[in-house]
Amino acid sequence: MSSSSNISIQINHVSKLFHKQNQRTFKELIPALFGGQKVVESFWALKDINLEIKKGKTIGVIGPNGSGKSTLLKLIAGVSQPTKGKIITHGKVAPLIELGAGFHPELTGRENVFLNGIILGMSRAEVTEKFKKIVDFAEIWDFIDQPVKHYSSGMYLRLAFAVAVHTQPEILLVDEILAVGDVSFQAKCFKKMDEFKNNGITIIYVSHAIESVRGFCDKVLYIDQGKMMDYGESGKVVEKYLEEMNVISK
Amino acid sequence: MTIFTKYKELLVELTKREIKARYKQSVLGYAWVILNPFFQMLVMAFVFSKILRITNLSVPYALFLYVGLLPWNLFATSVTSSMNSLVANSSLLTKIYFPREVFVLSTIAAKIVDFLLASIILVIFFIFFHQSVTANIWWVLPIFMIQQLFTYGLSLILAAFNLFYRDIQYLFGLIILTWMYLTPVIYPTEMFPERYRWIFKLNPMAVIINAYRQVLLSGGTPNLTSLGIALGLSIGMVAIGYKIFKRLEGMFADVV
Repeated sequence: MSSSSNISIQINHVSKLFHKQNQRTFKELIPALFGGQKVVESFWALKDINLEIKKGKTIGVIGPNGSGKSTLLKLIAGVSQPTKGKIITHGKVAPLIELGAGFHPELTGRENVFLNGIILGMSRAEVTEKFKKIVDFAEIWDFIDQPVKHYSSGMYLRLAFAVAVHTQPEILLVDEILAVGDVSFQAKCFKKMDEFKNNGITIIYVSHAIESVRGFCDKVLYIDQGKMMDYGESGKVVEKYLEEMNVISK
Repeated sequence: MTIFTKYKELLVELTKREIKARYKQSVLGYAWVILNPFFQMLVMAFVFSKILRITNLSVPYALFLYVGLLPWNLFATSVTSSMNSLVANSSLLTKIYFPREVFVLSTIAAKIVDFLLASIILVIFFIFFHQSVTANIWWVLPIFMIQQLFTYGLSLILAAFNLFYRDIQYLFGLIILTWMYLTPVIYPTEMFPERYRWIFKLNPMAVIINAYRQVLLSGGTPNLTSLGIALGLSIGMVAIGYKIFKRLEGMFADVV
């Protein structure tokens, strides 16, 4: 522990091989087997990613669609295992769950706060204790006893974000989703994340909103087709990414 | 086993979600859980006691049927829903880690709650038909436990496979129908051709249904040899199911 005490996430030469099942039904599978078609196709979603993230740093992850950003998050969250290499995380990881995932549309906001909080690893007592704070943060007191199916996507997001940030994570995984909130709530989210930064919480921020990545992140990882293209100071990496994307579109 | 300690609250919460969400929208709400099997029983009782005429029973056919039908429904709905539980929760599966059998367990738990509620009608039936019970009724608990073990083991296997090939659920719809006819749910064992009756010995559900009837309707003790075999098969099913499930678990988020 002593040597790694200021390391939050260690990604050691991680590669991920995906096996794409070409046939998901027997109707497709049986002719394929007789016809000698490939049943499984493999491709590398990540190739030899190697980096060390220090505690309290905010790391942006950028890259075109299908570059492996989400796969990387899955590996850090521990829901998927690397094919090669190793990922070591120190501390509790909280993913910002995409809209709807940890929520049930028929349940009320209140019920969903408990459901989502417990899914994210809080105890019932902890959720009860933080309930007021969570709803205050989300600013949805008027709707807290309504089924969330009546919520707008912004309200949904506010509640989801509020629960996630109150789980006291040590590593926060933020995927794209912030884009749905309105400007003032986005500002609030960034403020909260700033507070996290100051408290030594590591944030992995995946986004296509290049400007927010540049402004908000300490370092940026740029990946394309599973390969690490660059990693370093935000401004520089973002610049490189924009340049290369432009080259491709020209 | 840590699943029942460390993940107890999660299990409870997901079970509650399952139960609440299902009936929040319907007018009669939870009454459907009771009404559904009740009407199913009425229709079947009419067909099999008035048209196809299953006779020579020591108890009214409706009662005979219900004692078998309720646990059978519990089994069939538990397995069918569990099988879909991973696919239905795919967005959680790809975002956050906790042991995936929580999904299967919470689905089964929700079905048990349904079953207990539906059993109210059975109690009313017992009173209505003046059916007396003996001290042997306590056997219901171990029989129920064996049924749940068997259900859990089978559910684990099917839930995992269904992630890879969604056809499993359609195929299973066919299997469960056949299975019901090969289990003495709507008819007594004695009506089944004697030379094929050995099938029931290998079918834990047949043993379980017969055992319920034995302790609830005849007031006797269950056939311990058969129940022992069923227990052995059920434990084996859980052992194999758990092993397969855990083996494939690491791939769930990748294939879903």
